[in-house]
Amino acid sequence: MNGLNGIGVKVVHVGGNGNAHAVLREIEARLQLLVEKGEEGSIDLSGLPLMPEDYDLLEETLGEGEVVAEVHSLGPTRIHETGIPGVWWVTHYNSDDEVLAEFIEVAWCPEILLTPEDDVKDGLEALRARLFELNPKSPLGGAPSLDL
Amino acid sequence: MRDETLLDTLKRRGISRRGFLKFCATTASMLALPPAMAAEVAAALGKVRRPAVIWLSFQECTGCTESLTRAHSPSIESLIFDAISLDYHHTLQAASGHAAEEAREHSMKQDWGNYLLLVDGSIPLKDDGVYSTIAGISNLQMLKDAAAGAAAIVSVGTCAAYGGLPHANPNPTGAVSVSEIIKDKPIINVPGCPPIPAVLTGVLAHYLTFGAIPDLDDLGRPKAFFGESIHDRCYRRPFYDQGKFAKTFDDEGARNGWCLFELGCKGPTTHNACATTKWNGGTSWPVQSGHGCLGCSEPDFWDGGSFYKALSTPISPVTGAAAAAVAIGAAAGVAIGLANRQTKAAAKAAHQKATIADLEK
Ligand code: SF4
Ligand code: SF4
Repeated sequence: MNGLNGIGVKVVHVGGNGNAHAVLREIEARLQLLVEKGEEGSIDLSGLPLMPEDYDLLEETLGEGEVVAEVHSLGPTRIHETGIPGVWWVTHYNSDDEVLAEFIEVAWCPEILLTPEDDVKDGLEALRARLFELNPKSPLGGAPSLDL
Repeated sequence: MRDETLLDTLKRRGISRRGFLKFCATTASMLALPPAMAAEVAAALGKVRRPAVIWLSFQECTGCTESLTRAHSPSIESLIFDAISLDYHHTLQAASGHAAEEAREHSMKQDWGNYLLLVDGSIPLKDDGVYSTIAGISNLQMLKDAAAGAAAIVSVGTCAAYGGLPHANPNPTGAVSVSEIIKDKPIINVPGCPPIPAVLTGVLAHYLTFGAIPDLDDLGRPKAFFGESIHDRCYRRPFYDQGKFAKTFDDEGARNGWCLFELGCKGPTTHNACATTKWNGGTSWPVQSGHGCLGCSEPDFWDGGSFYKALSTPISPVTGAAAAAVAIGAAAGVAIGLANRQTKAAAKAAHQKATIADLEK
């Protein structure tokens, strides 16, 4: 069973409790920091008492942007840039598609999307190994000492 | 494998650096740390060794173990459990009888002075503790023996923390909590009937991360999870502040989601993480499902009178603390939760930052 959807209940919503406004103000402040000082930050939505209406208000106010991305590690992480550039919505799910944690990131790019430096180094070696397999005699294969 | 760090465990399970980042962000969120601390959590988790854990179950209903084994985020929480070495848990381990008891003794000897002891259930003292024994050893004796070699003790659930149901009036077995017996070890209380799984894994993650026990309140509970009352974080709070109360479980007010105070909600005097962490994978929690809080994470909640009597008309032992909490609650505004969180964030943000790359150097 996955969340409320499996149970036949009628959910009556009675309006938000105003906390969405506080979150929006915090986003505004963080965005200003990003613009003025280049400082990135994030807000953990999981610990805040938000009602479904508060989520709706957040989503409506921020809108949809032009980037949607998904990372597959320890279950999916879904990311989209909101209609306010620099404001990202990052939701971590487990392998059962349940929400583990949810953040609003105010950043040039959410950290989880950037390739970790060591992965790039490992990637370079992996690529060289593949090239070596393709053509063991090529000077590029087997000799990873090329200085760029 | 005993010397393996958590980062090694994750790597062995084929988890990428991004996965580790996600793991740390989720753990920081679970620990109610500001997001900027995720990197610090990562730094610490990357270095710690797996602590040995011995889990003793005394006078209990196994509800605590049930709750924990149904932790909602298998991928994340099983990693926390993987990060410890659970050497003895008589419900979960494969071994039984003499083999099980030998495993316990062996693990205690091997990690004497360093293991973490988890206890669920209360300990009966009446009639030399005959009311609950394991392998012919009374709970009292087993607790004393195991506690002597423990680095710290976690009392899991209200029974171990405060005596719980067995301790309720008239307490026929003379049941007491762990802290009434053990006086010379650090004890972390994780009450709740049952406790929220994410809170226990959070406490374990904290111990793993910082190698120390978390900040505790005056009832021995980690402040990160029990620092605020249910009422402080309740989404029905605006109705409380406006004086809009449901009077029965099916009146107009109840249908409109108004405050359950008059139906006996103990949220104002109860400290727990239900309002934010929620239950069953974040699906809902008692108040969201239309029932008041029972106060299950507080001492003697069974003896506090009817679950359906409003706090302002307390019957016997609900004391001054209840009235005070209600008064403070009424004075503070809706944004209190947010404000508290930001103060905490500001305090914690001063910490130094580390990156994933630093870990592997
Ligand atoms: S009394 Fe109970 S239902 Fe009402 S606001 Fe407080 S915790 Fe929520
Ligand atoms: S809402 Fe109250 S009674 Fe229910 S689980 Fe949470 S603390 Fe316990």
